[in-house]
Amino acid sequence: MKISACMKRKVISIPAHATLREAAARLVAHHIGMLPVVDEAMHPVGVVALKDLLNLSMPDFVRLVEHLDFVHEFGAVESFIPDAATLARPVKDYMRPVTTVKEECGLLRAFAIMLKHDLHDLPVVDEQGRLTGIASRVDIGTAILATWSHG
Amino acid sequence: MTAILLSSAIFIASLVLIFTEKVNRVIVGLGGATLMMIAGRIFNFYTEEQAIGAIDWNTLGLLTGMMVLVSLLEPTGVFQFLAVWAGRVSRGRPFLLLVLLGSVTTVLSMVLDNVTTVVLIAPITILICEVLGISATPYLLSEALLSNTGGVATLVGDPPNVLVASAAHFSFTTFLTHALPVVILAWMAALFLLRFLFRAELSQTPPAREAILGLDPYEALDDPRSARRGLVVLAGAILLFFFESQLEVSTAFIAMGAAAAGLAWIRPPVAETLKRIEWSVLVFFAALFIMVGGLEHAGVFNLLIQALLGIQKFPPVLLGVLLIWVVAILSAVVDNVPITIALIPVILGLGEAGMQINALWWALVFGAGFGGNATIIGSSANIVVATLSERTRAPITGPLWLKRGLPVMLLTCTVASIFFALAYPLFNR
Repeated sequence: MKISACMKRKVISIPAHATLREAAARLVAHHIGMLPVVDEAMHPVGVVALKDLLNLSMPDFVRLVEHLDFVHEFGAVESFIPDAATLARPVKDYMRPVTTVKEECGLLRAFAIMLKHDLHDLPVVDEQGRLTGIASRVDIGTAILATWSHG
Repeated sequence: MTAILLSSAIFIASLVLIFTEKVNRVIVGLGGATLMMIAGRIFNFYTEEQAIGAIDWNTLGLLTGMMVLVSLLEPTGVFQFLAVWAGRVSRGRPFLLLVLLGSVTTVLSMVLDNVTTVVLIAPITILICEVLGISATPYLLSEALLSNTGGVATLVGDPPNVLVASAAHFSFTTFLTHALPVVILAWMAALFLLRFLFRAELSQTPPAREAILGLDPYEALDDPRSARRGLVVLAGAILLFFFESQLEVSTAFIAMGAAAAGLAWIRPPVAETLKRIEWSVLVFFAALFIMVGGLEHAGVFNLLIQALLGIQKFPPVLLGVLLIWVVAILSAVVDNVPITIALIPVILGLGEAGMQINALWWALVFGAGFGGNATIIGSSANIVVATLSERTRAPITGPLWLKRGLPVMLLTCTVASIFFALAYPLFNR
């Protein structure tokens, strides 16, 4: 089975010049965890992930201490919101490189790529490299599991 | 004459390279030591045996032993425990928090390596401050400044102390009785100066004071059993340091013995534990010893001493105070270890020429120790704190350090100078 059979064809994406604030709003509006960043021709140029945005409001110590089970309360940093200047930055400053697969990619290969790159959503492109779909771990995983019942 | 010129050129070129920090100091040290030995061989002023003999094994053994003890304590979480405990006890009162965190760092760095202490305490300091909703800068700066100051008090507190004590044959007790009183005064003075310098930051009530009670020190203690054993061994070593002369053993022997006892009792993963030893420091020290040995055998110091004998006309007290300030200013801008290693043979030579040198040793110790406070690059602890703060939203900059650290350096050196001048006969014993 190909990934094109289980992917979502209505992809929510964002242009590279959009701001972080817009990216955050789009993630919230669609209740999703990742946005492919695309150019005018719909070629994916990067991704903005939920965790990268959340990192902006993570306290500094989270990066510095090895474990923090002993911190029962985050106190003053619990409700930390990044400042307006940061939120006005374009997503291209914060996006990470995108990993894509072609529409005819096999399901198991797609899932393995997600595991190796620690991805939760995998953008799919056509022969011309244009974004045509996106598949989550659950989309791909359940499609694979569904084949087991035929076995 | 060739030997003198060549060995001086090698040494000076190495120092310049070390101070410009263009090349890692360990590489420069090893390169310089190798060149010195090659030159010594060709011009017949320095043999391999003399080079091995020039290495101060007592210093290296003491440093290695103490590094193993730190390495044993590091993964137990005992440092984090102490910092979190200090935070809780302060109940979020800014000045009390500063005093407690500063004291914990100071006491630890009096017996252990400054860098490790700061590396482990500073992240918890940032955590405590963020949870409270206050800037960590005053606390981080104070920890580094107070631990640099406190480290001067003991023989094992700072590498220059180890070097001087080894060269001058000072015992642990001698060191403590001479340096501790000065350090206590200087430390208190530094603390009150810091309170003044940070009066604006320290007068604010933290927005989330109660949140500090949500930190549990006991949960931060990962391995209480190993921590207890490590601390018992450390305490044992310090106790034995006091009886060093009665037992007729070296501090290196005690430290290495304690390291062995700690390893045997705690049974940590040995390879991992030994990996945390700062080999670069040990190799750098050994290389510097070999270079300085080359200078000595080439006759550089004899020449220098003859040139310096004129200074005997100066009043000795003035000479000591002058040495404190010269060494302090040098230590503020460059590494104090090469300065100390280069000055030791000079002072020894002056002694052989008939000068009273006991007081000069203490001047060297105070200058090298207190001088490092002035600048962001003045001591390894400063560099560590600044580097950690770069990973936060409020990095500590060089100009900011100068603004807070230089006054502390000037004050502590003044305290040391006054005490040194008033109690000169005691230091000269």
